[in-house]
Amino acid sequence: MNSPSFNAWKLVTLSPLPPWALVLLALGLALGVALAAWGVRREPSRGRRVLLWALRVGAGLAALFFLLEPGIRHLQVARMKNRVAVLVDRSASMSFPAEVGGRTRSQEVADFLERAAPRLAELQDRFTVELYGFDPELAPMTPEALKTPARAGTTDLLAAVRAAAGAGQGSRKLSGVLLFSDGADNTELKAGVVGRARAALADLNVPVSTFTVGQETLKDVAVEGLKVDDFAFVRNSLTVEVEIHGRGFAGQDIPVVLSQEGKTVASKVVRMESADDVKPVAFTFTPDQTGRFVYTMTVPTFPGEAVAENNTRSFTLKVIRDRVRVLLVVGRPSWDERYLRGLLRQDANVDLVSFYILRTLSDDPGVVNDQRELSLIPFPMEEIFDTKLDTFDVVIFQNFGHSDPSLSIAEYERNLERYVHNGGAFVMIGGDSVLGEGRATMPTLMEALPVAAAGPANLDAFTPRLTPEGLRHPVTGIGMGAASTEAAWAELPPIPGANLTQARPGATVLLDHPHLTVGGKNAPLVAVWDYGRGRSLVMATDASWYWAFAAHKDGSPSRAYDRFWGNALRWLVRDPDLTTLKVTADPPSVEPGRPVGVVVQARLADYQPAQDAQVRVELFSVATQKPVAVQTGTTGTDGVVRLEFEPPAPGPYKLLASAKKGETDLGKGEDAVAVRAVGPELSDASVRPELMAQLAKETGGKSYKLPRDGLPDVPLLDPPVVEVGRARDQPLWDRWYYLVALIALLGAEWFARRRFGYV
Amino acid sequence: MSARRLTRRNLLLGTAALAPLLARRAHAFGEKNRFIPAVARHKGRWDTRLSGLRRITWELQRRTSVEVVPDARPFPLSSPDLFEYPFLYFGGEGEFPPLEEAEVANLRRYLTYGGFMLADANDASDGAGFDASFRRELARVLPQSPLADVPSKHVVFKSFFLLDAAPGRVLNKPQLMGCNLGKRTAVLYSQNDLAGAWSRNESGDFEFDVSPGGEPQRELAVRLGINVCMYALCLDYKDDAVHLPLILNKRR
Repeated sequence: MNSPSFNAWKLVTLSPLPPWALVLLALGLALGVALAAWGVRREPSRGRRVLLWALRVGAGLAALFFLLEPGIRHLQVARMKNRVAVLVDRSASMSFPAEVGGRTRSQEVADFLERAAPRLAELQDRFTVELYGFDPELAPMTPEALKTPARAGTTDLLAAVRAAAGAGQGSRKLSGVLLFSDGADNTELKAGVVGRARAALADLNVPVSTFTVGQETLKDVAVEGLKVDDFAFVRNSLTVEVEIHGRGFAGQDIPVVLSQEGKTVASKVVRMESADDVKPVAFTFTPDQTGRFVYTMTVPTFPGEAVAENNTRSFTLKVIRDRVRVLLVVGRPSWDERYLRGLLRQDANVDLVSFYILRTLSDDPGVVNDQRELSLIPFPMEEIFDTKLDTFDVVIFQNFGHSDPSLSIAEYERNLERYVHNGGAFVMIGGDSVLGEGRATMPTLMEALPVAAAGPANLDAFTPRLTPEGLRHPVTGIGMGAASTEAAWAELPPIPGANLTQARPGATVLLDHPHLTVGGKNAPLVAVWDYGRGRSLVMATDASWYWAFAAHKDGSPSRAYDRFWGNALRWLVRDPDLTTLKVTADPPSVEPGRPVGVVVQARLADYQPAQDAQVRVELFSVATQKPVAVQTGTTGTDGVVRLEFEPPAPGPYKLLASAKKGETDLGKGEDAVAVRAVGPELSDASVRPELMAQLAKETGGKSYKLPRDGLPDVPLLDPPVVEVGRARDQPLWDRWYYLVALIALLGAEWFARRRFGYV
Repeated sequence: MSARRLTRRNLLLGTAALAPLLARRAHAFGEKNRFIPAVARHKGRWDTRLSGLRRITWELQRRTSVEVVPDARPFPLSSPDLFEYPFLYFGGEGEFPPLEEAEVANLRRYLTYGGFMLADANDASDGAGFDASFRRELARVLPQSPLADVPSKHVVFKSFFLLDAAPGRVLNKPQLMGCNLGKRTAVLYSQNDLAGAWSRNESGDFEFDVSPGGEPQRELAVRLGINVCMYALCLDYKDDAVHLPLILNKRR
């Protein structure tokens, strides 16, 4: 009956009637059987009743047989070979030793696959076995290639399994996955098989059997889990959190140091309680300068550690100013104070904290009860000049100099001098109590100022002269360009007197007295300088308010005062917009092996883009304090050029830029960049067998530690049977004896009914 | 109003009281940077309280750390020299003629760019006399900033002394009135003849009696004058956050 070319059959109906007609007829037959049963329900003889029922059921079935016209369909079918994917992790962590002093994890896998080759060959009868490496892109591999070092920067197990399900030839389905990895996933499965990753694995419908490579007994300490914002506000405390992961350091103390470009910021010691312990460490510190800086978190490298590169972790932090926090300390209320206060209070970018000396010991307010009748508050010297001093961006002393013990700041002068030296900004505004006037000389604080007192004040009115430096300097640049600036200063009214001072070496005098000289040079009125990491400015008069109010006497409005003090504050807090050369690391944190990019924006003195400017950038290693490389370039029409350095060694770097346009110096600028020692892949040498087990469990596979012998039996889906050839139907119903049986059954029932008296 | 009798004793005491002020002037560093009140010289009776201004600046010097020059400087309102004196006293007795356009414009510019004006009805008028004239002219000077009552929580009532009323020589109106330009009060106006309570004659005697509160009211008027000067000099300093808790505590 079966042709040799057919290797399968199945029972089918050959009836030409549609299914609904067959259903109706079948229902009619069932009704006939039921009616017959109903008709003999009163038959007293149980035997007769059963006989009649049986004959009618038999006849009904025989009739149904003819209606359905059953037949056998002979088929020619074939089994398609499904795929089994062998996935081998090619991430850099597979280059760690599988055990202390042993061979790498990759080598261990390569050896195992050699041992498993016979068993894999057996599987070839039913499956197509495909070998892939993932780094994290899936790529076919040969067993020999597995012996080369693994280098990929990330491990993405889920992506590899997904890619394997979609890879392969034609429409062949995946029957199973054999996954060889250390489980050190640092992407989707980093947090384990949870959430969407879990659902994605379930959707694959493929058993993934996992083989964990490597031992968990490695000795290693790593800086992990760095949590820090991309930017911070200067003089505001900031917290950096890391996790110190110690394996094999039970009971040991591990010092953790946070440093900023070689300078220690803070340090702590953590104690590892167990052999595999993770200790969170938080450092809170207050950046005292704006700019971008490289910070490094370091733990020592211990003998026998698996990975030394993960003992440091560098990051860049951009320190910006929030609102400029200004402390204004006023020796006594005056018009100079009134207009400066008015200006600072209306500036939305300024957070003003002010203290005025409204009453000295020699003043008699004429009250009985100071507390109830006066609104005065104590002058909190310790608070503002000691504990809170570092929270201010700029400190302004306005004619503030008292020799009374209750108001003298002699005790805090060194604090203020250090504040400026360490990155703060200070303004001394003159008057009859400071800069050579009054009895409070404040010698320590004066060290931080760009001028020194040089004699009694001169009370003759004068129009200040803009120096060549002042013409270019952003503080005195109150016009749109040099000519406009010069005209703006010339229009201002004369001011009635100034303190007599002399510029210190290194100071930049921006405005000076047109006639009065000290040591052969014109006496400075406004002078600035950089002191340590900070900046200071001296205004050697208490009459700059003339520029705010008296300047309006002729009817024309003047913004000179506002612009001058606005510029001064921005310059003092190192507003990046006031630099003619803006340097930006791109990106600020570089993965190992990646080039260091830098974008330089050059502007002319009038802040127009400097086209065709020659830019030179030096990559300077903070660790070795030596330049590493130099790049040069020319700016485009927008004054911008991007330069790139070859990948340098890991560590913190400064990008020191300078630019020239022709013979004109466009200034200097800098930024910081951190070149990471290790990416996320190498920062953690741990093996994660629990993740591998989870992955196997979720997909219906099995998890193994890399066996010493061959490949165990792994769950694989059976390949589906696929009909690939011909089919032939063989009717079963068209036999004479089936018809005889039907007639016999119907006849027997008729005979019995007649015999029992029902017909 | 009654003038006190000049006696030799009062004359000596008054002169002696000014001595410290003169001594401190010797160390002046730029006179114009000190507190010097300017006086508006309008076409009415503008100069009836010059001694009061001298007295309040002296009190300012004595009671606070502010350095002053006690002699008030009268200027026509059209004078550009006003812009060297950010504190302007505008007082008078009785009506005065309308200001000239140049005066109105100059005074508007003065107030707009940071000048402060204390107006004082020396005749304690209300709806007539100086009051009517002043309101008429102020409406020309600051048409967008009408006079309004100064609330009791205004910083002028705590700029040096803690005060809760605004008396002068009389107490016709319990509060001051003011014009605000932005957040700054550019004009304060008293209808109680504030400077009348401060005025002394050449011998040092107070020129006028103070009613209804007598000498305590005079002291309050002096304190209010000092607070007004302090407000002109320090603006809203006493509204700074660092002061508020302490001041609120003191006011309890």
